[in-house]
Amino acid sequence: MRRPSVGWAGLVLLLLCASALSIAVGPGGITGAGMSPVMNLRLLRLALGIVAGGVLAVVGASLQGLLQNPLADPFTMGVASGAALGASLTLVLGRTAGAFAPVGGFVGALVTMLVVYALARVRGRVTVTGLVLAGVIMSFLFSSLVMLAMILGRRTLGEAIYMMMGHLGALFTGTTVWLFVAVAALSVAGCAWLFSMSRSLDIMSSGEEAAETLGVDTQRVTKTVFVISSVLVGMVVSFTGAISFIGLVVPHLVRMLFGPEHRRVLPGSLVAGAGILLLSDVLARNIVPGGLPLSIVTALVGVPFFIYLLRSRL
Amino acid sequence: MNERDRGLPPLSAEENGGCTRSVRSTIQLSGLSFGYGERLLFDGFNLDVAAGDFLGVIGPNGAGKSTLLKLVAGLLRPSRGSVRILERELRGLGRREVARTIGVVLQENPFAFDYCVSDVVMMGRNPYLGRFQSPGRRDREAVSAALEFVDAAFLRDKRINSISAGERQRVVLARALAQEPLILMLDEATSHLDIAHQRLIARILSELNRQGKTIVFLSHDLNLAALYCSRVLLLHRGKAVACDVPERVITAELIRSVYGVEPIVTRHPQTGRPQVMLPGEKH
Repeated sequence: MRRPSVGWAGLVLLLLCASALSIAVGPGGITGAGMSPVMNLRLLRLALGIVAGGVLAVVGASLQGLLQNPLADPFTMGVASGAALGASLTLVLGRTAGAFAPVGGFVGALVTMLVVYALARVRGRVTVTGLVLAGVIMSFLFSSLVMLAMILGRRTLGEAIYMMMGHLGALFTGTTVWLFVAVAALSVAGCAWLFSMSRSLDIMSSGEEAAETLGVDTQRVTKTVFVISSVLVGMVVSFTGAISFIGLVVPHLVRMLFGPEHRRVLPGSLVAGAGILLLSDVLARNIVPGGLPLSIVTALVGVPFFIYLLRSRL
Repeated sequence: MNERDRGLPPLSAEENGGCTRSVRSTIQLSGLSFGYGERLLFDGFNLDVAAGDFLGVIGPNGAGKSTLLKLVAGLLRPSRGSVRILERELRGLGRREVARTIGVVLQENPFAFDYCVSDVVMMGRNPYLGRFQSPGRRDREAVSAALEFVDAAFLRDKRINSISAGERQRVVLARALAQEPLILMLDEATSHLDIAHQRLIARILSELNRQGKTIVFLSHDLNLAALYCSRVLLLHRGKAVACDVPERVITAELIRSVYGVEPIVTRHPQTGRPQVMLPGEKH
C-alpha cells in the first residue's frame, strides 16, 4: 500500500481500539462506573503499554536502519539483559522488593551500554559490527548472570521469567509513579531526537562508506542512535522486563504500509508498537488466570507473522 | 623519485607532455603516507590531478587504487602528508562541503531496505539540506536532471532492489550527480556490467568530462580506461609506475612489469588508442 493517509488512519484506529480494550477488559471484569481503583490500575497499565510499545518499536526501527540489518531489535545491543541483571540484583540484594527494581534495572542498562560501547571502540571509531558483536556477547553473559543471581538469591524462577519475558503489571508506588512520568517524558524527547535523524538513517542503509561520501557523519549518527536507544530501552525494560518481538516485527509491518523511509517508519512504528503491545497485553492477562508473560503472547502472534513475511519476500 | 629509479617515464608536472597543465589543480596529494597496520602502502606519494582531467587509475589487486580513492574522499586519513581539494586542505573541509565537491560511486551498492529510485537519488541532495529541512523544488529539479542525464528517468518510481545491476549503477551515478560535484570518482563502477552498460556509463562520464567535471575512474578494465581516459595512472604496490596519456602507460613493457603477464598490445582500429589482449593458449 502506498497511500500514507490510509495507513495512518489504520494505525491510529488500531491504537484507539487497543486502548479502549485495554481499559475496558480485564480479570477485574468489564469496567463500569464506580470502579476507580481498578480504573487507576488500568490507566497506569495503558500508559505503560503505550510508552513501552512505542519506544521498543521506534528503537527497533532505528537500529534496523543503523545496523543495515532487518533482523536487529532493541535487545541486539545487550541493554535489555543488562537491565534484567540490574533489576534482579536489586531484588535479590534489596529488602524493599519491587519498588527499587526500576532504578536497579536502569543502572544495569547504563553499565551495559558503557561496556558495549567500550568493547566496540577501536582506535576511537565505533563500527556497527563492533556494536552488534559486543552487544550479543554481553547479552549471553548477563542472561546467565540473571539466572545465577536468582538461584543464589533463592528467588523463585517465576520472578526471573517475568523479568526476562516482560509484563505490564509493574508495581506502582508513590515514588515509582513519578519515576514513570519522568520516563514517559524522556521517551517522548528521545523518540523525537531519533525522528530528527531519519534522513541520515535512510542514507546509512546503503552502507557506512557510501553515507560518508554523501555528507553523513556516520560516527556521530552511530554513537547518538546507540546512546539514545540504550537509554530508552533501559528505562522501559526496567519497568516492563524484556518484551520481545515488538521491536523486531512492528517496523517491518510499518515498512509494508509506508515503504522504508524512516521519516514515516519511525512515527508509524511508535503508533503501531503501542497498539500491538496493548492488544498482546489484553490477550496475556485474559487468556490464562493470573496472566502470561508478555513475550509468550508477542512471540505466539509474532512468529507466524514473521514467517509469513519471510515467505512472501522469497 | 621512485619512477626515476625504475627508469620509467617521469610524472612531474612540467614534463608531462599530454596533459593540460595550465588549469589549476583539482586534487593534489603531496608526501602522502598511509598503511593498514604496520606496513605502509603509500609512502610519500604525490599526485596532481588537473581540473577537467579524465584520469584512469589502473593496477593489480592490492595496488592501492581503492585506498587512494578513500584517502581523496576523506574516508581514510593519511598518517602523513596532505590532500588538497581545489587548493584547500581536505582536513579543514567539513564532511558536507566535501560531499558538495566530490561525488563517489563505489563498486558495491547494497541497499538494506527497498527504497524508491527517486528517493535514492534524493539522498545525493543531503549535503545541501539542513537537518530539519525538507527537499525543495531546486532539489527535485536536481534529482530529475540527474536521472535524465544517466538515461534512467523511466526508473524513478521503481524499487532499487528490483532493477538490474546496470540500472542500479546508473541510479547510484545519478545520486552522485545530484550532489552537483566538481569531481567524480568511481571505484570499479563498471566491473559487474555487460559491455553495453559499460559503454553507456563510459559515455556518460565522457559527456560529464566535456562539461568540465574532473573524473577519476578506477578500473581493472585496461581497454575501457585506454579508450575513454585522457590520462592513466598505473599503480603498483602504492607507487605510481606511470602517469601519462594512455599510449605511454598501456604499453607491453609496463603491463608486463606490473602484472607479470606477457600481453599483446594493439591499436584500436578506430581511435588508435592502445588495447590489451592476453596471449593465446595452445589447445
